[in-house]
Amino acid sequence: MNYSDNVGVVFVNEGAENNGFNFNELKEYARKLNKVTSIWDIQEILQKGKKWIISEIKEKNINKLVIAGIEPGFYKTFLANVMLECGNNPEKVYLASFSEYAATTKNDIDKAKTIIACAVYNADYEKIVDFGENSVNTNTLVIGGGIAGIQASLEIAASKNKVYLVEKSGTIGGHMAMFDKTFPTLDCAACILTPKMVEVGQNPYIELMTYSEVLEVNGEPGNYQVKILKKARRVDLAKCIGCGQCAEKCPTRTPSEFDAGTKLRKAIYIPFPQAVPNKYLIDEKVCTYVQTGKCGICVKFCPVPGCINLDEKDKIVEITVGNIIVAIGYKVFDARKIEQYGYGKYPEVITSLELERLINASGPTGGKIARRVQDKKGFWIFSPDEIYEPKSIAIIHCIGSRDENYNKYCSKVCCMYSLKLAHLLKEKLHDSEVTEYYIDMRAFGKGYEEFYNRIKNEGVNIVRGKAAKVEKIGNDLIVRAEDIENGKIIEQKVDLVVLAVGLEASEDAKKIAQILGISVDENGFFNEFNNISEPVDTHKGGIYVAGLCQGPKDIPDSVAQASAAAARVLQSIAKQKINNRKQNFSISEVEAKIFNA
Amino acid sequence: MNARVNLNVKKDLLKYGAKDWNECFHCGNCTAICPLTDDNSLFPRRAIRLAQMGLKDKIKENVVPWLCYYCGDCSKTCPRNANPGELMMSLRRYLISLYDWTGISRLVYTSKKFELIAIVVIAIFVMILYINFTVYPAGDPNKWLGEDGGVLINNMAHWRKIHLADLIMAGLLSFFLITNIINMWYHMILKDKTVKVNILDYIKGLYLLPLHFITQKRFSKCDESVKTYWYIHLLLVIGYVTMFTMIVGFLEWFQTDKVHPFWHPQRLFGYIATVFLFLGIIYFYYNRRKKLRENSKYSHHTDWAFLVLLFLTVLTGILMHYFRISGMPKLTYITYLLHLMIAVPMLVIEVPFSKWSHLAYRPFAIYFSYIKNLAYKRK
Ligand code: SF4
Ligand code: SF4
Ligand code: SF4
Ligand code: SF4
Repeated sequence: MNYSDNVGVVFVNEGAENNGFNFNELKEYARKLNKVTSIWDIQEILQKGKKWIISEIKEKNINKLVIAGIEPGFYKTFLANVMLECGNNPEKVYLASFSEYAATTKNDIDKAKTIIACAVYNADYEKIVDFGENSVNTNTLVIGGGIAGIQASLEIAASKNKVYLVEKSGTIGGHMAMFDKTFPTLDCAACILTPKMVEVGQNPYIELMTYSEVLEVNGEPGNYQVKILKKARRVDLAKCIGCGQCAEKCPTRTPSEFDAGTKLRKAIYIPFPQAVPNKYLIDEKVCTYVQTGKCGICVKFCPVPGCINLDEKDKIVEITVGNIIVAIGYKVFDARKIEQYGYGKYPEVITSLELERLINASGPTGGKIARRVQDKKGFWIFSPDEIYEPKSIAIIHCIGSRDENYNKYCSKVCCMYSLKLAHLLKEKLHDSEVTEYYIDMRAFGKGYEEFYNRIKNEGVNIVRGKAAKVEKIGNDLIVRAEDIENGKIIEQKVDLVVLAVGLEASEDAKKIAQILGISVDENGFFNEFNNISEPVDTHKGGIYVAGLCQGPKDIPDSVAQASAAAARVLQSIAKQKINNRKQNFSISEVEAKIFNA
Repeated sequence: MNARVNLNVKKDLLKYGAKDWNECFHCGNCTAICPLTDDNSLFPRRAIRLAQMGLKDKIKENVVPWLCYYCGDCSKTCPRNANPGELMMSLRRYLISLYDWTGISRLVYTSKKFELIAIVVIAIFVMILYINFTVYPAGDPNKWLGEDGGVLINNMAHWRKIHLADLIMAGLLSFFLITNIINMWYHMILKDKTVKVNILDYIKGLYLLPLHFITQKRFSKCDESVKTYWYIHLLLVIGYVTMFTMIVGFLEWFQTDKVHPFWHPQRLFGYIATVFLFLGIIYFYYNRRKKLRENSKYSHHTDWAFLVLLFLTVLTGILMHYFRISGMPKLTYITYLLHLMIAVPMLVIEVPFSKWSHLAYRPFAIYFSYIKNLAYKRK
């Protein structure tokens, strides 16, 4: 550490308004730090100009700058140039980036102070924050009831520790419940998932809260107080016998989430037949009674008195837990954004998720391919009356992935699930021609390359070249691509186009990150503490990530990660101690720590 | 087939404007989205390959850059933002300099300074000639005016002298352009040992030359928004060809002492051509300034030079016309001088060595690729 430094701190308060950060408090703090001789706002510097700041720096003999802010990196080059022109070492411009350590809300002000102090004293924040240990509440909160959340809950419950599993929708199961087969083994997805779901429903150590959301988290690692919003299901879980009379008579329809919008469900519904809990609920957003105060037909037809309570109100419950596992999953890329593929314009262009439902025996058409048609009310659905055999099908990879205009990253699973879908299509429609258009075939896992070869041998056409557009010319749907290996243009007439849409961070990720005080990366996926040595930990003690919300991955990886997160939780429970990654200290505490290092 | 890798191609191409094509990961999207590709001409991805690998010889014999009309679809949809359209544009500039055996073109493209100096030197040369061979309208202005009040221009700068100079210049420019086209033909057809083109092929394709020269027909395959662009380009071409024909072909008829009535074809054609030219210049200038389209996002210094020179040429031309019919001999004389001082350098530099040579290379490239395809088919 260089004790002879004369440090100037530049504050970048852009974005602070939204977070309620009190920059004056931070400035006061910085002023008190030993070695800090000047403090500026970036606005002031930009207004008064480069010459002014250069003379300031020279006058005050400053030889090191710290730029502090939520995302201060933008000004680093500029200030490095300033330092260079002052005749100083341009490398001595340091960042105190609050977002890097997830200090982004007004509650994190103490953390922000520590970050500034570390930057001023050249100390490693990660080491400084590693203070002491807390005792641990043995309860665990798992957020998200997809395969990762289910796996983590079961692992923890197996050790006879209490788990609260909070799920936003009316059932657990997540995306995996929608799939027919898994790659590369072509196992039946439901056969793996359903028993686990049932077990979650029955396990006495798991308290399942579906149709619920986490509102607020306070406290420290090992001891978090969590407020949970239990939205009104309007159907009594204890009384409902799942007979479905209500739904049969309910007049209101809306696209079914579970079926990726390929068919409709009622306002009172059970997400799917194997749902856990296997009970109905009412969708307040569409229910006529909730919206207009008139209807109540379901109540009349429900055979159990007092089961449906249309006026039930949301409840807030409070729980205390020691650890939290975040497993909120993902959403698929919205193919409408890329106009040239005609999704939303041509009914024959569908997404891979829609095909998953179509091809699934439990789907809208009993596993047959159907045309998308508009019903009387204007909903576009796949009806069993419109079943046909498409003669030629194109599957286009990398929709919204590996694309600078949309998501830069590879979604990791689409190559493989496309091959799987091609196989399933071939299995159902022997005479149809299935063609895959890809950029690179990413068959990265155990048994995956073999699976790719198998599919090739099954007679699926595999073309290297990203199809660039889907166009209707007359009545024909034409896919245009460059066949790179054979050096020609392909203009293929097809009956069905499947867009292999990529995976994106869930729309709730940012909100959850705020509530928990953890951070997301530029794509909205949660940051792990260290992607090699602590891949399921976050920057906050006692909070872990598992599954797709940490980054694109397939089912085996999600499950493995969930087990890993559970192991971390169980470790702290067994030790009855948790690293508190404490992040707020008094100045003297920080300095003592820093100078002792 | 052997190919030589030239490591300088990348560095070199950057001077011609290309941006970021090294980002390309060869997905083929650009070739598939391009409205002008077919099995015989796959671009722009393959051209990017040649550039990435530094295969200068292959670039030299490649016709595809001339088949692209820079609609920008490829750049807009490229998943790597590799700017394939801009690479095609840069390759056209690069090819112009490769066809040009004098090396002037290369200097124009790679050095702003050279271009500027060349313009000034030629302008001064024109000024010296003009002052020596024309008569300044000194003394009583009225003695320079005709009965209808117009300036007797042929008493100051007789059309025969200007015409002679025109012809000499046209001859010179044609010489350079034609020899460069022969060079292009040599690389594209003769050097390519894989096909044998026979005389009949040359004749069969001949109609393509005037067709594509005048109409730029291929762009009609591009989509609607691109069409406006090319219609305005067409206006510019029509304006330019009209003016060129009247001046170089019929100067006696165009440069008269008599002031014709407004609707006389001499004046009417002149006005229409001027309006077309102005429209084109303003539109293209605006596009480049505001970077409205993919094809105007990156402007090379030669693009600006061309627009500015053309604008000044048309402006001085119409001013001179105005002074002439309003009976202002001195101003007529001076604007005529300025007009020539701008128009001549523009033509000398732009037509054989820079941007304007595309008016010859493009139709010839389409012609050559057509006859090459005929030969391929026979095989
Ligand atoms: S109140 Fe009416 S609309 Fe609402 S769930 Fe019951 S039947 Fe359906
Ligand atoms: S997995 Fe395959 S299809 Fe999906 S983004 Fe990666 S390369 Fe593209
Ligand atoms: S679209 Fe872009 S990345 Fe793909 S081949 Fe063309 S230039 Fe390369
Ligand atoms: S700019 Fe247009 S014409 Fe040129 S290569 Fe790209 S898509 Fe084709």
